[in-house]
Amino acid sequence: MQPLLQLSDINRSYGAINALVGAQFELRRGEVMGLVGENGAGKSTMVKIIGGFDSGFTGDYQMNGEKLKFHNPTHAEKAGIAIAQQELSLIKTMSVAENIFLAGEGVPIFATRRTLANKAKPFMEEVGLEYIDPLRAVNRLSVGEQHLVEVARLLAHDPQVLILDEPTAALGETDSIRILDMVNRLRDRGKSIIYVSHRMDEIFKICDRITVLRDGESQDPREAKDLNVESLVELMLGRELGNMFPKRVAQSRRDPLMQVRDLWPDGVLEPANFDIYPGEILGLAGQLGAGTAEILAAMAGAANTRGGKLIFDGREFLPKRPKEAIAAGIGYCSEDRKHDGLFLGRPIFENLTAPALKAVSTGGVIAPLREQTLAAETAVNFTVDPDRLPQEAGVLSGGNQQKVALGKWLSIKPKVILVNEPTRGVDVGARAEIYLKLRELADQGASIVVASTDLYEITNLPDRIISFYRGIQIGEIELADITSERILQQITDPFNETGRHGEMVK
Amino acid sequence: MSADANEESPGLIARIARDNSPLVIVLVAAFVVIFVIGAATAPNFLTVFNFKTIIRDAALVGIMAIGLTFVTLSGNFFLLSMKETAALSIIAFATCMSAGYGFEISFLVTMLIGIGAGALQGVLIGLGGNPIVVTLGAAGLFFGIGSWWSDNLVVSFRRPHGAEWLGTGSFLGLPNITVAFILIAITAELVLRRTNFGRQVYLVGANRAAGKATGHENLGLAIKVCIIASVCSAFVAIAFSAQVSSAHVNYFAASFGSSGDMTIMVIATVMVGGNSIMGGYGSTLRSSLGAVFISTVDNMMVLHGFNSGPRVLAVGLMIVFSIIVFALLRRGTRAVE
Repeated sequence: MQPLLQLSDINRSYGAINALVGAQFELRRGEVMGLVGENGAGKSTMVKIIGGFDSGFTGDYQMNGEKLKFHNPTHAEKAGIAIAQQELSLIKTMSVAENIFLAGEGVPIFATRRTLANKAKPFMEEVGLEYIDPLRAVNRLSVGEQHLVEVARLLAHDPQVLILDEPTAALGETDSIRILDMVNRLRDRGKSIIYVSHRMDEIFKICDRITVLRDGESQDPREAKDLNVESLVELMLGRELGNMFPKRVAQSRRDPLMQVRDLWPDGVLEPANFDIYPGEILGLAGQLGAGTAEILAAMAGAANTRGGKLIFDGREFLPKRPKEAIAAGIGYCSEDRKHDGLFLGRPIFENLTAPALKAVSTGGVIAPLREQTLAAETAVNFTVDPDRLPQEAGVLSGGNQQKVALGKWLSIKPKVILVNEPTRGVDVGARAEIYLKLRELADQGASIVVASTDLYEITNLPDRIISFYRGIQIGEIELADITSERILQQITDPFNETGRHGEMVK
Repeated sequence: MSADANEESPGLIARIARDNSPLVIVLVAAFVVIFVIGAATAPNFLTVFNFKTIIRDAALVGIMAIGLTFVTLSGNFFLLSMKETAALSIIAFATCMSAGYGFEISFLVTMLIGIGAGALQGVLIGLGGNPIVVTLGAAGLFFGIGSWWSDNLVVSFRRPHGAEWLGTGSFLGLPNITVAFILIAITAELVLRRTNFGRQVYLVGANRAAGKATGHENLGLAIKVCIIASVCSAFVAIAFSAQVSSAHVNYFAASFGSSGDMTIMVIATVMVGGNSIMGGYGSTLRSSLGAVFISTVDNMMVLHGFNSGPRVLAVGLMIVFSIIVFALLRRGTRAVE
């Protein structure tokens, strides 16, 4: 049978980075094809090429056996390819029906709201939104329902191929189930769907076949029923775990440095309880939305919290503001350094001393020599060129920015450093340096708590792992027991739902 | 490259030059152009007396602009109540003077009003109020109180009085208000560059979220910078009242005097100086230079006999021009984000 889409020998490079190398992709009529891979494996590049957002590739693109080249997304849309992006393109104050016909195709120039509503109903029913009034404003729907509206909008163009790019990444359980139901319904009606996701449980619930991308290269598509979570992860990782990560030793456990008790940040299902030991790197494993980011932020006083306390340094307290956490010796890097980790327009040395102005000043007056010395020490320590200290932080590469964002906490002589996604947007070379630095800080006696959604990283960096699944603390994995399969099972499918749900859905 | 002590900690002058370099060049170039044109076309332009006039005219707007620069640099936009704070202050000062309280008491009372006005706005802005709305509201409040208090009449007090030294006195041949302007400019620049407070202004202005994450919250900062700006307004009101021995709520409005609406002039000065409206980049030194620059252009136009319409137009053009130049320079020197 001739596939609907057939891409062969696709090459795409951005500067020196090869995003895709001789990649293959095919999609049959009426199937759900899972597209999986680690961050940076080339998933989003592949999606962009298929959807006509990226025409700078070489290779062969065929649809229905016909050779095609799209120069822009509209072109691809005309050919019947529709993408539901993670970022919704809805006008939230307008009604569902108005959003579905935003492009104005297939409706008379003058249409009453009622006409639009009637025309919108079939598409809403197709995505499972038949219970919603088409005249209701989009901003009164849940985020998951908004995703469904987005898909309904795409269906109005009657696409042959529908690409869903991590549709459940920002959704809770209920909304995720809605999306999965919709995918099943659309498949039953003969649509061909490309489903991009990080969530293993979903992949196995709804995909017929799976294409794995790894470092820009594609694996042959596999039947989903021939795979399980373990074998899929092997395909995704597929490489020797080299010495990117510093050596770990099982830490001797005596008294915990900090005890986290009943910490219950907003947006997390249950309170969390765990201990942090001196000199260790503790990993909080979980997917996006698992609650690890919120827990770190709450420990640093940077998130709203319903309750809980830290037993630390002979005190029981919960920082209400970052200022209090800093005073207690807790440094925190969020996952978005440009948002709250760096002063991009200010010199690097100001970034490095920002948390410790008091330490470099006397009576409120900054002592330039002391400040420069402190900044230079940190820079040397973090392998940032000290000659660049007067430059704006914004000119640094992602890796160096992350080093500055992290290194600034050295100035407060931290006891605990909390880092969410330590190497997001950081190239491979700088990653190893950051891992090494975290290890050195731990060896010097600080405790490091790392939260990461990157499986490779969370498997290989921490001395001990606590896993989370959708806001629930699942379990603890000691160093000897850390394997990516085990982590993956705990963060994607801790209650063994895959088989059960799979049967229910299919 | 060896890192000797000099490189590690460049001197203050070197740091100012480095921070401002492209902008200072543009501003200096603009000065040179204006001076050449002025010297060539206006007969009395190149005289010591005229320069003194330029700086004296720049002083009142300049002092208020220095105060406002703290607000702008800290990322809290502008206080649209600069003129009204001055209006309330001048009424307070003149009323106290005419009641015979003497300079010291009157000065103190007026300064307290300035502090109160700044603190009120600072708290509201710091708690998340939109600076435009908050300060527009405050403007109405202050003007209303001043107008009510003075019955919308001129409040005058008799010479000789204890404030004459500030209004009309001079020191080494310079008017005292000019001396005050220079001293305030130097102090403000030192505070910005050398103190924790000044650093916080820059950091929080450059990135409020990162400021909070590193322990520098906007609430306290907003209160401080708003107090600085309002106190500068109050001081200018005192100096002006001391000069003319009277007060009226409209002394700082466009209809009075020649230099246009005071709030607009002050904001223009901050912007012509090339300070970032979004905060984080700039300095009070730039605002001081901006004040002198505007005053120079204005002076030249006066010598050529232009009336207030074209002169206000010129200020507007300078704002637009400075925004364009500033944006181009920033684009040239900063990495694309």
